[in-house]
Amino acid sequence: MFAYVVKRLISGVLVVTLVSMAIFLLFWYGPSSPAQPICDRETSNRCGNKIEIYEKTLGYNNPVHEEYAKFVKGVFVGRTLTIASNDYECSAPCLGVSFRTKEPVKEELLSRVPATFSVAIGGAFLYLLFGIPIGVAAARRRGSVADKALVSSFLFISSIPYYLFALLTWLYLTVTFEIPLFSNTGYFSPITEGPWAWFSGLFLAWVALGIFGCTQYTRFTRGAMVEALSEDYIRTAKAKGLPSRTIVYKHGLRAALVPVVTIFGIDFGTLLAGTIFTERIFEIQGIGWWSLQAVQGMDLPVVQATAIFSAVILIISNLLVDIVYSVLDPRVRLS
Amino acid sequence: MSAQTAGPETLGSLSTEPDPQDPTSQQAKEIAGKSPMRIALGRLARDKIAVVCALVVLFFIICAVFAGPISSLFGVSLDTPLASERVDGLNNGLPKPEMGPPNGPFTWEHPMGVAPRTGQDNLAYWLHGCRVSLLIATVAAVFASVVGVVVGLLSGFLGGAVDKVLSFFIDMFLTIPFLLAALTLAPILNERFNTSDNYGTIQKISLICVLALFGWMGTARLIRGEVLSLREREFVQAARVMGMPTRRILFKELLPNLAAPIIISISLMLPAFVALEAGLAFLGIGVTDGVSWGQMILDAASPVYFRDYPQYLWQPMVGVVALVLSLNLLGDAIRDALDPKTRR
Repeated sequence: MFAYVVKRLISGVLVVTLVSMAIFLLFWYGPSSPAQPICDRETSNRCGNKIEIYEKTLGYNNPVHEEYAKFVKGVFVGRTLTIASNDYECSAPCLGVSFRTKEPVKEELLSRVPATFSVAIGGAFLYLLFGIPIGVAAARRRGSVADKALVSSFLFISSIPYYLFALLTWLYLTVTFEIPLFSNTGYFSPITEGPWAWFSGLFLAWVALGIFGCTQYTRFTRGAMVEALSEDYIRTAKAKGLPSRTIVYKHGLRAALVPVVTIFGIDFGTLLAGTIFTERIFEIQGIGWWSLQAVQGMDLPVVQATAIFSAVILIISNLLVDIVYSVLDPRVRLS
Repeated sequence: MSAQTAGPETLGSLSTEPDPQDPTSQQAKEIAGKSPMRIALGRLARDKIAVVCALVVLFFIICAVFAGPISSLFGVSLDTPLASERVDGLNNGLPKPEMGPPNGPFTWEHPMGVAPRTGQDNLAYWLHGCRVSLLIATVAAVFASVVGVVVGLLSGFLGGAVDKVLSFFIDMFLTIPFLLAALTLAPILNERFNTSDNYGTIQKISLICVLALFGWMGTARLIRGEVLSLREREFVQAARVMGMPTRRILFKELLPNLAAPIIISISLMLPAFVALEAGLAFLGIGVTDGVSWGQMILDAASPVYFRDYPQYLWQPMVGVVALVLSLNLLGDAIRDALDPKTRR
């Protein structure tokens, strides 16, 4: 077990390094000149020859590997960035300086993490809270009218694009009917503005995310439960005269949950890495919306930092899923 | 060469075919004359949901192909003479009463009304948005399938190191969330092509590239799995013994047997791409030159307009939902018809 975890950790670090390199290269070679957006911004679109000053001070004339080394060094010990004639101090985990605000990217990133994580944790919790019990109930009544109606209505919901579902939820509940609980969506700090403001601001986003996402979990759980309930050991348990609650939840669900947990881990990681549509529609000041604004404002360091941050979150969550899976199902780490 | 009659995946269980005349010999004769594709088409034609969805999709295709003629038939166009003639600047820029809803009665001059603030005709923009949406989704689906089929064929047939490398790429691309990738690539592509005059075209091309770049993995996996089982079959071995070059085996022997999975994967890719195209435009990182359902939704979703003019939002919304839903259901029906084993 220990050896497996160490092996996975080493490969995880390797993947993080490779991904950060890939993103760095993408932002280095992708744009015709990486200094163009900031030059346009600073000189109000009369950049002209001044671009050379920006390219020189930002280091775009140096070889790419030297600049990547500086970037990595900045992440671990901090660095001082120069844009045109101004110096900007950027402390320890330095991910660059925003072109718009001239503040270190890290600070704003950290200030927006709680919003995204709140959305992700609440939404993912509802995935399981709605998805698994409904899936189990449908599997127990397999083939009945209720089961068929449920399966087809969930198929219908999951065929609608998520953003339209969320947008309609927000527009009707918040804008048209102005339901008090949903009237003020957004992220409010639970510490400074109180837990109630935090809860009511995010509640609608959680519900929209949860209802849409749970359709998938209902399907998985139903499929896995139908399979598990037809196993021989379930028949044995029935023959022993165990109560049906014990059979379904202790013997059936236990076996059915392993694949569901794996999928959940990956989904949860994706949510943590950025809930762009949810944040944009429910006006939540999280990482997703921030990176969207950065894209529209051509704030390349912010886009780069959020891309690296999301990639790292995804890699870590995949790593955790693998480790948890190897605990749940020992066959994985033996192969 | 048994290439044509091969493919148990596509033939399916023939006994489920209802036949009015029962004599078994006649049934066998009847079936022997049908190709797998015709059997599948027959199943599709009997599926009521599939027929309705196909008609809806056909309606959208006609709207997209004949966007120009249909607009001129109704006497509307993408050009707006003067916004102030059509909208009321004092009333949040909402359309004037004589322009139809929300303030006036229906008028044939603008059957779907005009947009607030800009005064653009909704019908013309809706039709052309439909064209953009279907065009991007179709082209991207074709590109993604070509990449997926080639990667899947090579990886499944050649095996060994090639398979390992290609499978690694498939798995790597599968772990990248599409939205994040699109969000990261959008500013780079925009910056690179910023100065061109035909910005709208380049935006569409880069959107197609992004969709194709992150849409091929499903097809590749599906094809790889099929090829793994097909390559052990007698007709492939026979072709090998005859000394057929690998390229010919791949494209003449294997490819015709892969028609079913390819059609299935394209039909499931289309609705996803339509939804993504509109979604990216809604976020402001897709097609941003104005003629797009996603942009109409973005414009109409602002609370100021939505309170007084919800129809403006519903028009593109119904377009996206109806198209995505019917493409999805049609895709499921096609999969069931071609591969009856997955039938629920």
